[in-house]
Amino acid sequence: MKLFALAAVPIFLVAADVSTQRLVQSQDDAASWLMYGKNYGAWRYSALKQIDSSNIARLAPQWIFQASGAAPMETTPLVFDGLMFFTGSANHAYALDLATGKEVWRYERPVPKGVQGCCGTVNRGFAALGSKLFKVNIEAKLVALDARSGEPLWETTVDDFKMGFSTTAAPLVVKNQVIVGIAGAEFGTRGFIDSYDAETGKRRWRFHTVAAPGEPGGDTWKSDAWQRGGGSTWVTGSYDPELNLIYWGTGNPGPDMNGDVRPGDNLYTCSMVALDADTGQLKWHFQFTPHDVHDWDATEDPVLVDLTIAGKKVKALIQANRNGFAYALDRTTGKMLAAKPYTKVTWASGIDKAGRPVLLPGQDPSEEGTVSCPGLGGGHNWQPTSYSPLTGLFYFGSSDGCQTYYKSEQQYVKGRWYQLSTAEPIAHASGVGSVIAVDPSTGETKWRFETVGAPSGGMLTTAGGLLFTGDRHGYFIAFDGRSGKPLWKFQTGGPIVGGPVSYLFQGRQYIAVAAGSSIIAFAIPGRVSNK
Amino acid sequence: MHIGRTVLLAFFLASFANAQNPLQNDPAAADTGRGVFRIYCSPCHGIRAQGARGPDLTQTLGASGKSDDDLFRIISTGSPGTEMPGFADSLDDENRWHTISYLRSIAKQQPAQVAGNAAAGRDLYWGKGGCPACHRIASKGGRLGPDLSRIGSARSAWYLRESVVAPSADITPGYNTIAVVQKDGKKITGVERGYDNFTAQLMDTTEEFHSFEKADVVSVKRESRSLMPDTYGKLLSAAELDDLLAYLTSLGRPEAGK
Repeated sequence: MKLFALAAVPIFLVAADVSTQRLVQSQDDAASWLMYGKNYGAWRYSALKQIDSSNIARLAPQWIFQASGAAPMETTPLVFDGLMFFTGSANHAYALDLATGKEVWRYERPVPKGVQGCCGTVNRGFAALGSKLFKVNIEAKLVALDARSGEPLWETTVDDFKMGFSTTAAPLVVKNQVIVGIAGAEFGTRGFIDSYDAETGKRRWRFHTVAAPGEPGGDTWKSDAWQRGGGSTWVTGSYDPELNLIYWGTGNPGPDMNGDVRPGDNLYTCSMVALDADTGQLKWHFQFTPHDVHDWDATEDPVLVDLTIAGKKVKALIQANRNGFAYALDRTTGKMLAAKPYTKVTWASGIDKAGRPVLLPGQDPSEEGTVSCPGLGGGHNWQPTSYSPLTGLFYFGSSDGCQTYYKSEQQYVKGRWYQLSTAEPIAHASGVGSVIAVDPSTGETKWRFETVGAPSGGMLTTAGGLLFTGDRHGYFIAFDGRSGKPLWKFQTGGPIVGGPVSYLFQGRQYIAVAAGSSIIAFAIPGRVSNK
Repeated sequence: MHIGRTVLLAFFLASFANAQNPLQNDPAAADTGRGVFRIYCSPCHGIRAQGARGPDLTQTLGASGKSDDDLFRIISTGSPGTEMPGFADSLDDENRWHTISYLRSIAKQQPAQVAGNAAAGRDLYWGKGGCPACHRIASKGGRLGPDLSRIGSARSAWYLRESVVAPSADITPGYNTIAVVQKDGKKITGVERGYDNFTAQLMDTTEEFHSFEKADVVSVKRESRSLMPDTYGKLLSAAELDDLLAYLTSLGRPEAGK
């Protein structure tokens, strides 16, 4: 084992240049973290391996940055060219010096009066191209910033926040376009996925996630409810450069809990859609939960992996769906390869070969309340998942339990809340959850670490054989990726909700994560083994 | 004396203090507000606002004398010293007014009277009931159970009755029972003061604080039961129970002194 002392090398800020080629090869660039999901396949796997089970006990904070007013932070920071870039709530964003954690620049915009959102003014991160950074603001705006100064370069209105639209997801850069998802299904909106020119901010295409009459899928809405049919796209998708397809999960149909006003399957809600990256044209779709009435969005990370199933190699897309099943799809055709529950499920006895759930009776929300499992938040919710090619396992968190679902009636009023009821916890059912490792080719659970309450943090795996995640009680945790044994923890003092990242700085591996309103960078102090 | 001006000023101040809901003439506002209420408020106040861990708003709101402006402030910033959080970060102004429209539509002006004699209930509480061993009112009593100084305004009457006769039916968050077996075989049981994936904190029956790493002990059990005896339904007669409930529901209520 070669050991070396770190030299004190001065760091100069260089002109950032995140080329499209660099993005395509981002998995090979272990020193940086260039996009929300680490690579276009959304693996969140770092090839760095200085930190492993032999030295994890010495992992310690090296700096902490306090982003006042930016909590809660659901962000995944980007790291390149000596800087860390991250977004916070309420239209905050920052660039930090990797050496010290000190602020280099800051971006802030007041949240306009009248912005509505189901879940606060959260934001999940930047995208990068060239020397530009792209982020959405909560009021359904997309902005481009100069990565060197934070100066706004252009700003585009994605849609009208007064109608209930908002934006929270990290954009995805594909070639020279910025792909953006929308939120707002609780307000009677009609969802979409947009493409914007990275240079000018001009919109190139829009794919509506709710099919209109006359369009393919339009006959799955038996009334005019499609006009306010939901189908938000509030979590970042993934991209296969070889197939030139963008994969994006879509949210629940609206209104959430009362399906009486929207008979039919309600395409393309609760689905995975594969879009031609240049035109936004739909190549295929797979609907996980037809006519959903439990708010089980299918927006969870679409993770692109090549699997061997029945001896055959297949380009797959895997997802831990909020409806309680883990899926593997053929990402070329959209055909289902495997589906298996990872938590207690009472609404379906299974998924048939065509990919359609086999429904069980008595599960729909009612005026007096109906118990169904999983609960409103899933199963797995939006938090980043991770695939490790080292272990071959797919990692995610799950809320394990049931809830009582209620429905109600309400007149639709433009721009107003239109969820038509909610779900409540069941008395005496203590909130439990788990961190789960699943074999993606079968859906079989390999290990499960039971947690107190639902897991809150995103996942990061490393070539050191580790899985990092955080919990709502403030613990940042490292597990052995193969066994699920907790190896290390640190109490950060704030709930961990976003995605951890790993990067190399001055030859040393760092792990960074947002906790509460802080960003904390961890490393092993002293000399580092050059593995 | 400038009575006229004084009266005018008082009227102006009263109007200001009682700012009206700008959506009060909007017939759909209560309907929207019900939807908002079910998402944000029902976890504590119940799906139909009839109370649980939070007050029964159908009963308490009408008699509280609170103006729309008061309600808007409470929903926005919470109520300091109580379990009521603020929602200014999660609900915009209009949705807070929608919620108030809904609450006004369901609030009864003549709340149901709690049977029983509060003065007799006070004697029971501080005497035969032995409640101060674990509960505090106005800084008097034990620390093991929840402070009851304002419990009448924080819980519905039916919930309080259930809490007295069946204390484990629903546990206030943070008051589960934690039972620890240490490596030397010693068992420590107490009321939860913290519980997460790796540690547990508790207060034992002598009000001593303990903190444990789960990995350092034989077992840690978090039990969904209360340490409070479940015998009050037998210890007290029906009339005594009514008296005790009358006393408890008066605690923290503005009309308690009437």
